[in-house]
Amino acid sequence: MLNFLTQKDKKLGVAEPTGRYDLPLHNCAGSSFLMLLVALMSFLAMMAVSGSFALNGVTTKWSSGLENRATIEIPARKPNGQIRSVKDIERLSERTTRILRKHPNIEDYDVMTRAEVSALVSPWLGESITMDDMPLPGLIAITIRDNDEARIDTLKKSLKEVSSDIRLDTHESWLNEILRLAGSLKAAAIIITLVIGFTTVIAIAGAVRSRMAEFRADIELLHLMGAGPNYISNQFQRHSVILSLKGSFMGLCAGAIGLFLFNIISGFSTSSDVAPSLSLSPLEALSLLSLPFFICLIAYFSARYTVLRTLSLLP
Amino acid sequence: MIRFEHVGFRYGVGPEILTDVNFTLEPGSFHFLNGPSGAGKTSLMSLLYLGRKPSRGLVTMFGQQINDMEQRNLAHLRQKIGVVFQEFRLLPHLSAFDNVALPLRIIGTPEKEIRNNVGELLEWVGLGDYTQSLPQTLSGGQQQRIAIARAVIARPKLLLADEPTGNLDDEMGFRLMNLFEQLNNMGTTIVIATHSHAIMDKFGHPRLILDNGHLEVQEPKSWVQRSVESVF
Repeated sequence: MLNFLTQKDKKLGVAEPTGRYDLPLHNCAGSSFLMLLVALMSFLAMMAVSGSFALNGVTTKWSSGLENRATIEIPARKPNGQIRSVKDIERLSERTTRILRKHPNIEDYDVMTRAEVSALVSPWLGESITMDDMPLPGLIAITIRDNDEARIDTLKKSLKEVSSDIRLDTHESWLNEILRLAGSLKAAAIIITLVIGFTTVIAIAGAVRSRMAEFRADIELLHLMGAGPNYISNQFQRHSVILSLKGSFMGLCAGAIGLFLFNIISGFSTSSDVAPSLSLSPLEALSLLSLPFFICLIAYFSARYTVLRTLSLLP
Repeated sequence: MIRFEHVGFRYGVGPEILTDVNFTLEPGSFHFLNGPSGAGKTSLMSLLYLGRKPSRGLVTMFGQQINDMEQRNLAHLRQKIGVVFQEFRLLPHLSAFDNVALPLRIIGTPEKEIRNNVGELLEWVGLGDYTQSLPQTLSGGQQQRIAIARAVIARPKLLLADEPTGNLDDEMGFRLMNLFEQLNNMGTTIVIATHSHAIMDKFGHPRLILDNGHLEVQEPKSWVQRSVESVF
């Protein structure tokens, strides 16, 4: 008699997941296409997330650098249109600093010399123009203790006593505009990342569905032999996760090269103080490195949901 | 125990293939299923291996009514059933060994036990040299033996076989019938759909005769008596 006939009754149950495939999923023609698609999605996600980080960095830099700073401008022309002489501007600057010295809300101030003001203006006018005869405003950079609007108004009133046309620029209005723009760009980056995630779900679900159609007879057979939904879906999940892992690492590498090149190019062409910098904090770098993990999670759950839903239609 | 009570079955809105089918299979019983082509044998088999649900009537398998059973529980019941399909239904990308091992892997049998039992059974059915062969490289008879080995390897409580010896020579056919007998002696309930009167006569088990969707159960005594009557 055959030995297996004399053994104890088999304990029925559900097999633990193994690395085996009962279905030839790893030999499918569309596998490399799906992997490339995931690689592209990962690349785009990495770009969008890094862009968001860069904007975050630059807005923090802008706002933290300017939120307690303001500039007092003594215009180069009087209200009646006449040009103010250098001496005139120096006299008004002197009177202004006297107010600033006594004002409780002023932490520090710095009267900019004519040379410094010229240096600020020169990038817009070019190196070839001589500034000697150019009417230039007087500028005083101040550091405010408290950004409270009432206190700023008191300062403005005090300055009007020196000259009615002296302006106090707290940078608030244009800074708010830029921050709003940066906020919109960040929101766009988040939406793009979500769209990429959604597209990945659709791509993986579509691939799983087409595999299930391709191997329908084999899946039905496994089903009839008592393979539970988890047994069958495990194979699809494992296959999708492995493909996504490979694809997302490819995308990550491509993204890292892309960011490196972008950093080099932007470093050559712009001033690093103003332009977004792609130097990442450890936390941000960790977030980017965890992208493959999230893509694998998406792949796992998309495959699982699709398989279980399709299997639920079987008798 | 398997019980069919007033079971009817139709595909979609088509005519009823099985009409008011009633029978009981006691644990450890052995039945042949016989009837002309188109009588509904394959449909009855598909109800027995839980491939389909009846359009009406009650089906009880292993003491549980299956009509409204959840899919998860049905999977556990299916693990107790071994099926030899008429068209074999082997997985073409798996070797003979892996095809036979499939039911054991589904229930989570340790690999060592799988290796021993599958190797032994393939040897016994004369395919010891073909364990790594893909089904499409084997003859019809060899594929049929793999299908039979797959159906019996997990020692099912119910074994269903649709023309299991159709592609085999007489010697191998009777050898496999003896394997079914051994399984039956150990408590497996067996239903074999066959047209072979030679096999049915030799083994003398009760017959489920299907004709035009209606089922009649014939005990050995009744068909022997009928044969004697027809002679005289």
